[in-house]
Amino acid sequence: MIEISHLWKSFDGETDILKDINISIQKGEIVAILGSSGTGKSTLLRCLNYLTKPTDGIIRIGSHGIDAKKHSKKEIMELRSHSAMVFQNYNLFKNKTAIENIMEALITVKGKSKREAQEIGLRLLDKVGMLERKDFFPSKLSGGQQQRVGIARALALNPEVLLLDEPTSALDPELVGEVLNTIQKVAEDGATMILVTHEVMFARRIATRILFMAEGTIIADGTPKEILDNPEDERVKRFLDYNLK
Amino acid sequence: MFDLSYFFGVFPVIASKLQVTLLLTLTAAVFSIIIGVTIAVIAYYKIRILYPITRFYLSILRGTPLVAQLYFFYYGLARVSEIVLNMKPLTAVALVLSLNTGAFMSESIRGALLSVDSGQKEAAAMMGMSELQTIRRIVLPQAFRVSLPALFNDLINLLKATSLAFMLGVRDIMGQAKSEGAQSFRYFEIYLAVMIIYWLLVLGFSHLHKIMDRKCMEMY
Ligand SMILES: Nc1ncnc2c1ncn2[C@@H]1O[C@H](COP(=O)(O)OP(=O)(O)OP(=O)(O)O)[C@@H](O)[C@H]1O
Ligand SMILES: [Mg+2]
Repeated sequence: MIEISHLWKSFDGETDILKDINISIQKGEIVAILGSSGTGKSTLLRCLNYLTKPTDGIIRIGSHGIDAKKHSKKEIMELRSHSAMVFQNYNLFKNKTAIENIMEALITVKGKSKREAQEIGLRLLDKVGMLERKDFFPSKLSGGQQQRVGIARALALNPEVLLLDEPTSALDPELVGEVLNTIQKVAEDGATMILVTHEVMFARRIATRILFMAEGTIIADGTPKEILDNPEDERVKRFLDYNLK
Repeated sequence: MFDLSYFFGVFPVIASKLQVTLLLTLTAAVFSIIIGVTIAVIAYYKIRILYPITRFYLSILRGTPLVAQLYFFYYGLARVSEIVLNMKPLTAVALVLSLNTGAFMSESIRGALLSVDSGQKEAAAMMGMSELQTIRRIVLPQAFRVSLPALFNDLINLLKATSLAFMLGVRDIMGQAKSEGAQSFRYFEIYLAVMIIYWLLVLGFSHLHKIMDRKCMEMY
């Protein structure tokens, strides 16, 4: 369902941050991307909805492929309509309440009526346990609550794939649990997900597949058991030693 | 000495021109905000061709005295333009004040636009919102809130600047005062009344600012 072929990215035209990435992901897979800091995990994820424009390569989500070398604005919009992203810093609209954050794109992009949008908003806020705070502005919510609204907002778009970039790493430790539980719930509903995270134990629990990145390439690709229990590569070993101690 | 009964007599006469001053202020305020937002957005996106033009415009309007601008427009341009020649003084003043205050407001708004974090814009882009939708529904409302103190400052300056309208013969508070003074020469009572009226107006605007600020505080 997702096809990434020969993906390259360089920000300055000299150093390659992504080096010839090739991945194909099936519907329903929960893919966790692990790797040390600065290895290009976020860049890879952001290339999937062109928040970062790749330098070269083709990305296909759904039926239509988009070529980094030649594409139109319309194709970018098309690509974006297949996915939704949850950000490390939540990025909620600060001038909108929790429910308005969810309704915004439903009305302005998906062309739904206010009532429809509201119904969807209420249903998803209930799902992430934020119904009582539906009329709160982001500034009045904790980080964990904001992130749960962020997840609801992404789900509202009814994406074919949910992209999550370190959704818990900006949170105070005591708030991480509530957000991981929410993500697990979404995963159990059969969503397709690509999750960048440093929470190795969590990845092990929910992921069906793990990609390990180092220096802009994927150096390991397999089930959590294969990658985490008997790591072969020295870099994976070191990463696990560090992150699991 | 101070003539109390003259003061109480002339006060309502001058205050009766409050509506001219307010009309001028509010009209110019509306157009200034439109001009200010437009220029700020042009600067925000550094839109080709338009951006240097607006920079030049700002440089001129902020770099010359308002009185000079009023005279240049009303008397100077009247020599070369039929439209200006036939323009009512009140319209001319409203126009120049709009252009002038718009220049100042654009600077107040421009800084505020930049204060909205790029994460929210990325979120909007991720969801498929267009740039126009993003700026209109997400960025501008937040920028407006940030620039509220500066905008009220501009507004109060605008209110005070309308007092120059009498120089083109508009009969506002100041214009009325001038003509009363020409008859009675009781300048102390007359301009004391003028001072009090403007001062009360400014207090009113400041109060409005406080109310709006509190409203915004409750939100974000
Ligand atoms: N907008 C940008 N401009 C220039 N360089 C960038 C930009 N974004 C990322 N980079 C560089 O690309 C490399 C990979 O960054 P990326 O954010 O993808 O890493 P990451 O694996 O997500 O790291 P982390 O675990 O710290 O989030 C880094 O060296 C970073 O400095
Ligand atoms: Mg990252």
